[in-house]
Amino acid sequence: MVRIKYVERPELTNRERILFVDFIKGMKITLKNLMKKTVTTAFPFEKLTPPKRFRGTHAHRVKNGKEPPSFKVIEKFMDIEFGESRCVACYMCMQACPVPFLFNIEAIQLPDGRKKVVRFDMNLLNCMYCGLCTEACPVDCLIMTDIYETASYHRASCVLHIDDMKKRSIDFDRRRYGEPDRIWIDDDQRSKLWGQIKWS
Amino acid sequence: MHLWAETKELELLEEKFSEIKLEKAENFTSIIVKKENLLDILTFLKDELDYRMFIDLTAVDYYPKNPRFMCVYILFSPEKRKRIAVKCWADNDSIPSVIYLWKGAKWAEREVYDLFGIRFEGHKNLVRMFLWEGYKHHPLRKDFPKEGIQEVYLPSLNLRPDEIPAHNYTPYHTYVPSMEELEKTQKSRLEKKSQIVLNWGPLHPGTHGTIWFLFDMEGETIKNCEIILGQLHRGIEKLAEDLTYTQIIPYTDRMDYISALCSQVAYVNTVERLLGVEPPQKAKWIRTMMCELQRINSHLLWLGTYALDLGALTIFLYAFREREKIMDIIEGIAGIRLNSTYIRIGGVSKDLPEGAIDVIKHFLNDFPEKLDEYETILTKNRIWLRRNLNIGIVTEDQVYQYGLTGVVARSAGVPYDIRMIQPTDAYDKVDFEIPLGKVGDCYDRYLIRIEEMRQSIKIIKQCVAEIENLKDDRYISTENPYVLPTLNEVFSSIESMVKDFNLRIYGEQAPEGEIYMSGENPRGELGFYIVSRGDGKPYRIKIRSGAFYNLQIFPELIKGRTVADAVALLGSLDPVVGETDR
Amino acid sequence: MELLGTVIGVTVKSLIFIIVMFLAAAYLTLLERKFAGHVQQRPGPLHVGPHGFLQPIADALKVLTKEDLVPDSVDKVLFYMASLLAFVPAIMILAVVPFGEPFTVFGLEIKPYITDLNIGVLLALAFGSLAIYGVIFAGWASNSKYPMIGGLRKAAVLIGYEVALGFAMVGPIMQAGSFSLREIVEAQSGMWFIIPNILAFVVIIFAILAETGRTPFDVQEAEAELVGGYITEYTGMKFGLFPLAEWYIATFVLSAIAVILFFGGWQPLPLMGWLPIPDIVWFFIKVFLLFMFFLWVHWTLPRYRVDQITELAWKVMLPLALANILVVALWIIFIG
Repeated sequence: MVRIKYVERPELTNRERILFVDFIKGMKITLKNLMKKTVTTAFPFEKLTPPKRFRGTHAHRVKNGKEPPSFKVIEKFMDIEFGESRCVACYMCMQACPVPFLFNIEAIQLPDGRKKVVRFDMNLLNCMYCGLCTEACPVDCLIMTDIYETASYHRASCVLHIDDMKKRSIDFDRRRYGEPDRIWIDDDQRSKLWGQIKWS
Repeated sequence: MHLWAETKELELLEEKFSEIKLEKAENFTSIIVKKENLLDILTFLKDELDYRMFIDLTAVDYYPKNPRFMCVYILFSPEKRKRIAVKCWADNDSIPSVIYLWKGAKWAEREVYDLFGIRFEGHKNLVRMFLWEGYKHHPLRKDFPKEGIQEVYLPSLNLRPDEIPAHNYTPYHTYVPSMEELEKTQKSRLEKKSQIVLNWGPLHPGTHGTIWFLFDMEGETIKNCEIILGQLHRGIEKLAEDLTYTQIIPYTDRMDYISALCSQVAYVNTVERLLGVEPPQKAKWIRTMMCELQRINSHLLWLGTYALDLGALTIFLYAFREREKIMDIIEGIAGIRLNSTYIRIGGVSKDLPEGAIDVIKHFLNDFPEKLDEYETILTKNRIWLRRNLNIGIVTEDQVYQYGLTGVVARSAGVPYDIRMIQPTDAYDKVDFEIPLGKVGDCYDRYLIRIEEMRQSIKIIKQCVAEIENLKDDRYISTENPYVLPTLNEVFSSIESMVKDFNLRIYGEQAPEGEIYMSGENPRGELGFYIVSRGDGKPYRIKIRSGAFYNLQIFPELIKGRTVADAVALLGSLDPVVGETDR
Repeated sequence: MELLGTVIGVTVKSLIFIIVMFLAAAYLTLLERKFAGHVQQRPGPLHVGPHGFLQPIADALKVLTKEDLVPDSVDKVLFYMASLLAFVPAIMILAVVPFGEPFTVFGLEIKPYITDLNIGVLLALAFGSLAIYGVIFAGWASNSKYPMIGGLRKAAVLIGYEVALGFAMVGPIMQAGSFSLREIVEAQSGMWFIIPNILAFVVIIFAILAETGRTPFDVQEAEAELVGGYITEYTGMKFGLFPLAEWYIATFVLSAIAVILFFGGWQPLPLMGWLPIPDIVWFFIKVFLLFMFFLWVHWTLPRYRVDQITELAWKVMLPLALANILVVALWIIFIG
């Protein structure tokens, strides 16, 4: 049910005008806030932990026994060792990406008929961090980690290659694989701003 | 909700004019007219049949047909609450101008001229809207390539060979304007009749983004004003012709970057109506809740910057402290604070995580007191009243002439709110009030936005109560052939993987037709006019942005006032340059 | 001999006053930033030194070593003089402000003021009015549109409020019977002048806020409208002098004069005279409290439009000041 309501335009009475009541009430609020504690997190000395769903830099998960069932179906056509990236060169991430020419994927065919990925470059200078590529990967290989400090001095170092993506995912999974899908981890930096939240 | 006019209502029109053709589809009613009768038919529609409000004016390029351009006029009738579209082929690339019927057509026609090259006969000031004087091409034509015409060699962009990252890099670039051309544009837009011509913008701490104002001033009073837009024009409509419907979603939230979720919801609602997809209940409630959270976010930013422009410096930081909380909520649910690509066709991309409802309830308990604090500092303050009362009064007639929507229309007393007129998602199941103003000045707009924040809190409370009691946990309707499956489905079944592959490579094969639908952005009505020719990529998308049409009334209202009032008026119209320029 | 002693004494005292005023102004910037920060629930400067204590020194070094750009088309003489003219009169008012009673140290009698003129108040007003020239020169010499508009606005505001300030000061002068600031303080030993002069106190608060360019009267710092106003074209130390002079030194000095005229100067607060605190410390406590009040107003209220400010000055402040003179005259006849 939607109703219409007219806003009221308040008027200042004479008593409020002479005694500056409107100024004094406003200044009381500022005084109250002067006495409260600050809510600032002093970056880079103190940092907030990003939530589980955070969309940071990309990484490739490796073949380590925790793959989804779809991987086992496609694995027969690929040459992937234990500990190497799970990529099956399906080009779905490149199709899903809204930015043209961000991915540069090359795979070669070995003499026994299986394929091998030789090149997987992502040009993060063009990336929108939308996450559509991670939703397109059918074998849970391409993921987004919680790393957001990626500034560098050369343009070439903003292009990701398959080796550093592998290492990043091994580090990320070691730190945060078992975490439940909560909205965020309640550390003291968050409670500076939020206070105590009643979790159910 | 049926918002398009029925054929039987247009019988009067058919009797009077015999050469028109009526087309009624489920989502679009259009009248195809010939160029000679266009002005008569539009006058008849406006005066007799009461389609008074101007919504949009656009063009579509049907290359290589001849005539290739078709102009589309979308109108709305406030009493009957119905929309109608009028289409006309522009023979010889020209068409009569409608600025004598609706003043809001001035900028719309300039934009069509700029991007397509159609000449409007009778328009007094047909200059380019977004691009600079002296540019030779018209970009939205179908024979202009998406990458542009790369003809200029720019040495500053030539890096050392080991520094070039992208594998499609070429040292040739599309044409960029030089300083002389920008000066020529500036001189040609405003002629100097009074003492000084002041450039307010494009780089200025007070204009909300890169808008370029030219004031012709006598002392401190502004006698005439012109606006040069286009500093943030990125060509989203051209890019969208080469992307599938899901790939356009990240682009929609970069237009109005402050209320990103509302823009995504408006776009996805339009596409879902075109494809015939119905999202599940939980997705509708989640979408409504996120939309209202984003509305509070956007109004808080408006309050902070408006108070900052008028001198109350502390409110800026208080508003940002509350915004931090909302952005933390959006980050925990969607992944990124600002450009969260969260909504998908058919539902939302991920369900709410654990703890989200607790955090939102905590925020809802806390926020009304903070809002009362801001009101105490500002609402009855005599300085605030003197800066805001009776400045920039918008009348009801101007609302219909210029196509003003959003808070600007509601401050003049016109109850135009898309959430009420065409409710989508869960808006027909929640209980809220729409604040209206009586006078139409800046102070009314300020009061309306504060009241809208309170009403958003009410809506979110109802959404939270409903989501907690909902039994069905589905958040995206993947059984529909147009909807992308979730990751868990792709991991476990081959059919889903094949469907995923097909939808990503070929796009959602929409049925042939067109649709216009809109959503209520915090800034106005954000409408999408999509023409589809049967394949997975849209043939033409026109984004009807509320901020663009709202900004058009600024030169009218500022005549005779001072620069200080220009600041207050611009803040209360609340444009965001990403949306005015697209 | 006597003359040489006086000259040396006055020179040494002036140097001490100027150096201490500079240091105090620098640390007043830190006070303002911390105060503004905590009002907005953030810490202000935090990392340079413990709790930001060395921040003013870092700022001073930065401003002194920045590149000093002077655009080609400015009027060079007026451009350089403008920054001096804004800054020097504020410091010169210190010459007539007394900080306490004369006291003896090691047998020497030290007077904690540079001079004790018998027209002290008039001189303070005159020096304050010289600052208007700085504004006008800066706006004109910059040869650009924004500074010109900013300079004209500020000059219009300052002229109106100078008049109101002058009239508001008449009340305490009438009650004390002399223009000398030291005698005005001594005439308040019975009752402070705030009680009959409440209207003049309100006018003085508004006039000080307008003279020093603080919100709600800071048409100058209205960034949204004028980028920087008359200081747009200034860089480096010339830029640093403008806010230092206006916001900090002038506010401090004018609050000192307001304390002397209305709050009893260096006399202790009522009922607290038995505390062993010297006069100078009482004076500084009162001046700091008034300074913090100005900061508090600055960081809360929004800003007036320039025609509303001048309207307020001529239509409200001036009549209030004149009414105050009438009230004081009646008080003197019937009570004093």
